[in-house]
Amino acid sequence: MVTKTLNVSRKHEIKEKFYLIAVLQGMWITLKYFCRGFFLWKSYTINYPEEKRNYSQRFRGMHFISYDENKIENCTACYLCQTVCPAECITIIAEERDPLKNPSGVWKEKKPKSFDIDALRCCFCGMCEESCPKDAIKLSRNYELATRTREQAIYNLDHLKREVKGRG
Amino acid sequence: MSFNNQNIVVNKRRMYINYCSDKKPLENLEDQENLENQENQENQKNRPLKNKINIDGKEIEFLPGDTIMQAAERGGIAHKIPRYCYHPGLPIAGSCRMCNVEIEKASKLMTACSTPASNGMVVHTNTSKVQKACTGVMEFLLTNHPLDCPVCDQAGECELQEYNYEYGPGTSRFSETKRVFTNATTKRLSDKITLNMNRCINCERCIRFEETITKSYELVMLNRSWEKELTLSNYESDENDKDDEDKMPTKGLTSSYQGCLADICPVGALTFNDFRFQKRVWFLNRQPSICDACSKGCNIEVHFENDIIYRYTPIFNEKVNRHWMCDRGRISYHDVEDSGRITMPFMNTIDSHLHSVEWMTVLSYLKSTLAIAKKVLIILGTDSTCEEAKLFINRIPSLSKGEVKVCFYNGTGDVSSSKDDEKIDYLLQMKDQTANTKGLELLGIPPLETSYVPDSTDNTDSTDSDVVIYFRSGRAGVGGRGGLELKLKSSASLFLWGVFYKKELDKAALKQIVAIIPGLMTVEKSGTFINCDSLSQSFTSAITHKGAALPADVIFQIMILENRSAIRS
Repeated sequence: MVTKTLNVSRKHEIKEKFYLIAVLQGMWITLKYFCRGFFLWKSYTINYPEEKRNYSQRFRGMHFISYDENKIENCTACYLCQTVCPAECITIIAEERDPLKNPSGVWKEKKPKSFDIDALRCCFCGMCEESCPKDAIKLSRNYELATRTREQAIYNLDHLKREVKGRG
Repeated sequence: MSFNNQNIVVNKRRMYINYCSDKKPLENLEDQENLENQENQENQKNRPLKNKINIDGKEIEFLPGDTIMQAAERGGIAHKIPRYCYHPGLPIAGSCRMCNVEIEKASKLMTACSTPASNGMVVHTNTSKVQKACTGVMEFLLTNHPLDCPVCDQAGECELQEYNYEYGPGTSRFSETKRVFTNATTKRLSDKITLNMNRCINCERCIRFEETITKSYELVMLNRSWEKELTLSNYESDENDKDDEDKMPTKGLTSSYQGCLADICPVGALTFNDFRFQKRVWFLNRQPSICDACSKGCNIEVHFENDIIYRYTPIFNEKVNRHWMCDRGRISYHDVEDSGRITMPFMNTIDSHLHSVEWMTVLSYLKSTLAIAKKVLIILGTDSTCEEAKLFINRIPSLSKGEVKVCFYNGTGDVSSSKDDEKIDYLLQMKDQTANTKGLELLGIPPLETSYVPDSTDNTDSTDSDVVIYFRSGRAGVGGRGGLELKLKSSASLFLWGVFYKKELDKAALKQIVAIIPGLMTVEKSGTFINCDSLSQSFTSAITHKGAALPADVIFQIMILENRSAIRS
């Protein structure tokens, strides 16, 4: 394959070459915000770990799986989220629920044996939430997903079944 | 996007429905007859007039006695008529009323599956009247059908889903609560089949299958209307308590063709436990192959994803298995996925323990052993393909200067050749549990002499081979594990080549095994089997081979190429 390099020469006017106007504009903006912060005590940053910024109610963060009053997850391992996921970050293995531990009757005869979400692959598009027929998988507003290793970013069913109030 | 997908689904079903019928187009049949009856042309003039039916503008010739559905199958347009209770392998019931068609000059709609076709009939399958009737039938079927497609294993290959997509009303006018069978929601009919009665649409295919194909009469429908329930009929008679009506069935289903019940069920009411909740069907790739669990050679479809097999399903073949398949063959894929299967080359070192080694170490050792051997005996398991047998016959003499003898060994109980093979039940299963006994016999290979076989009365000392190569692909010698307990000379070295399991090696005399060369199972290789009825069937590989196993032709190529390079140098 032959690659070509094209040099584009751009001619600047004398006014553009003499950066004084742009420098003065920048200095004016800096001075404006400095005066607001220094004299009027109006700050634009927050003390992050102690204070948290308020995001929109529709913000999409880390997933969770909702459960009913018996602490049984609503997920029936139908694989629809795994099918629809564009990033292929969801891995489900299904199994049959023990009939004795199935107080909700027929609707929960199938359950996920394992349900892993790779948060590093996830693009938080919310398609899994949209496709779920049981409203089991939902996206909370939790955005603090930093981990020390890559393995820790793969979340299993125990983590996903955590209690989330008001969508986090 | 969605439109294209729908087209693909419809085309697949069109192929499937029209292929799965023994009603073939009549033009081909007539050509054959014409060839046979070329001499007596007078007979042709006196032949009865051709029966012709017009379905959706297509003129189709049919035989007297065919129904409209069967005539449509002959014309290749049976996919235009929806059906639930009709199955080409089962008797006609006409109970679902889904296959309504409009016949000209008939006042009402008729069921295509049960109305006999007659000459000059004009049938329309897609008029507004037919569509309205189908929508009505669908609405009634869906009143009580639970909305648990996410849980149901049939979703993706469910006829109720497919026809609801085409004919369904889209909305429901049913505001009452749905019927629930509390006792039969997850009912084990046997250890292989689970019933969910809520999903049943009362097509009674399963009952007709038990009545006509397996003749075991183990399923019946109890009650009427909403309470109509599929139950087991084999209640154990309790003499002490004759009046008790709530006797529990004790035996469950006993036939060896239970997997077919899950196949023919149009909805997810009957599911096969081995596949239950294992995989959603839309993830599976499909590849046709041959079942190697007995000498019948049933045509199967291997369903797999990422080279892991999830199930076998039968494919229609009129000459071999029709629509059916036995349960032993259906779950025989577990042998491919067995964790104890040896997929690395092993060699027996000085301390008489098997150690995993490199491929070239084993192959160069095998080649040097063959080169100095005086008498070489090659035992082919009867599950090896005809191509592999040819390879051994042609290639081993070029590697060895000694006397080479090739013979086959079956090892299924007392079966030693295809003469001992017989049917063990009414339908498909054969006594011989290997696939290619007939093929090796037709290639002219003699059976193994009885003096090698364990537990034989022949004690003559004719076992004088230096090198013995035992080749099989996992089925031969299964009954008695005979391959590993051969009566050999104490100084003879035994090479195991093919599919072997660790549990077998525990029993075997380790001292004689020199090396194990891993090979392929039937679904991993291509080849030809000749079944018990002398029908030759070829197949191609479905999945790539497990571990480090290699096909036999590749191994021979490596060994012979090495030979040539040695000669050149």
